Amino acid sequence: MSHPSMDILVAYAAGALEPGFGLVVGAHLETCETCRAQLRSLETASGEALSSLPAASVGADALERVLQRLDEVPQGQATAPTRPLLQQLPLKPRRWLAHNVWVSAVDTPHASDNRVYILSAGAGTEIVRHRHSGAEFCTVLAGAFRDENGRFAAGDFAAMYSTDEHCPVVDGDETCICLFATEGRLQPTDMLGRLIFAWAGV
Amino acid sequence: MCAPRRELAVHDPAESSDEALLVGIAGGDREALAALFARYAGKVKTYLKRLGALDATAEDLAQDTMVSVWRSAASFDPNKAKASTWIFVIARNAWIDRLRRERVELAYRNSVTPAEDSTAETPQDSALRALEADQVRAALGALSDDQKLVVQLSFFEDRPHSEIAAQLALPLGTIKSRLRLALTKLRTHWEKQS
Repeated sequence: MSHPSMDILVAYAAGALEPGFGLVVGAHLETCETCRAQLRSLETASGEALSSLPAASVGADALERVLQRLDEVPQGQATAPTRPLLQQLPLKPRRWLAHNVWVSAVDTPHASDNRVYILSAGAGTEIVRHRHSGAEFCTVLAGAFRDENGRFAAGDFAAMYSTDEHCPVVDGDETCICLFATEGRLQPTDMLGRLIFAWAGV
Repeated sequence: MCAPRRELAVHDPAESSDEALLVGIAGGDREALAALFARYAGKVKTYLKRLGALDATAEDLAQDTMVSVWRSAASFDPNKAKASTWIFVIARNAWIDRLRRERVELAYRNSVTPAEDSTAETPQDSALRALEADQVRAALGALSDDQKLVVQLSFFEDRPHSEIAAQLALPLGTIKSRLRLALTKLRTHWEKQS
């Protein structure tokens, strides 16, 4: 299985990844016990680091305000949501790019210049060759794709960087569904690709 | 009139371990929560500011974190996790939830704002911090060098928080360069020592 690199996991554990990129790492973690174990040790280290931080001054009435809220009935979801990550995503309507390809964007109010989306492509589909203007994280949710770097199946995590160019092809008979986060827009290397990607908003 | 006198309480919250406080909080002990607040609220706020939160957001989320600690304390298992880990995860998730739900103004995006917490530390404070940092470094011993570097950069760097946040809140390319930066710094450090 392909995993996020250690620096990605460390940044994720520290809360330092942009949330859209964190979602993609989270989708991998849901299926990967190895990375979850790593994450737990990183969280322990982060907890130790937290204990050693200097305390910022809090408002004079901060404790009082907290104590007043203790009896409130919690609103909204509990702190530990039990639904799978993907069902929690605020997905926008699907946009069909071809008879067997659609994208559905995830709302990312925090970062308009980053895009998070699900791409579903039927068996045999070839995605237009493209470059990345920034980092791209991807976790395969179902099916598999293949590109110059190898084969990526359900649960696999892949990271691409601004200099990387690739031409992914859906591998096998199953529809391939992936969760992506991209920094900036994808840059198709031909005109048709540009039109398609512009329509898809990716 | 015959209410039990406080002095008879078995533990003074101020002297209990973090874990004991959480167990007390799970049992509805408000004094335990106040004691835990005194230990952690300010640290949580510092952590959030280092991630790029503005002062008001960090204050808000630090309070939310303590309320969440109260509500979720029953799920804390002292045999499975340290209190610091558990509180850290609640604080981090509160930050991520906020970022996911709304557009949060980040300190590093208006870097013209002077760093408001640049007020000088007393020498005693820094000595204390150095001691604690040593203990943490010992605890970090089990991690690989790369892991340690990122954790240390995330928490221990004495640079303006806006600058750290600018690096921390950006995804990958930056983390890569941060690692490179860290390696460069360490090399300088080694060269000085040898």
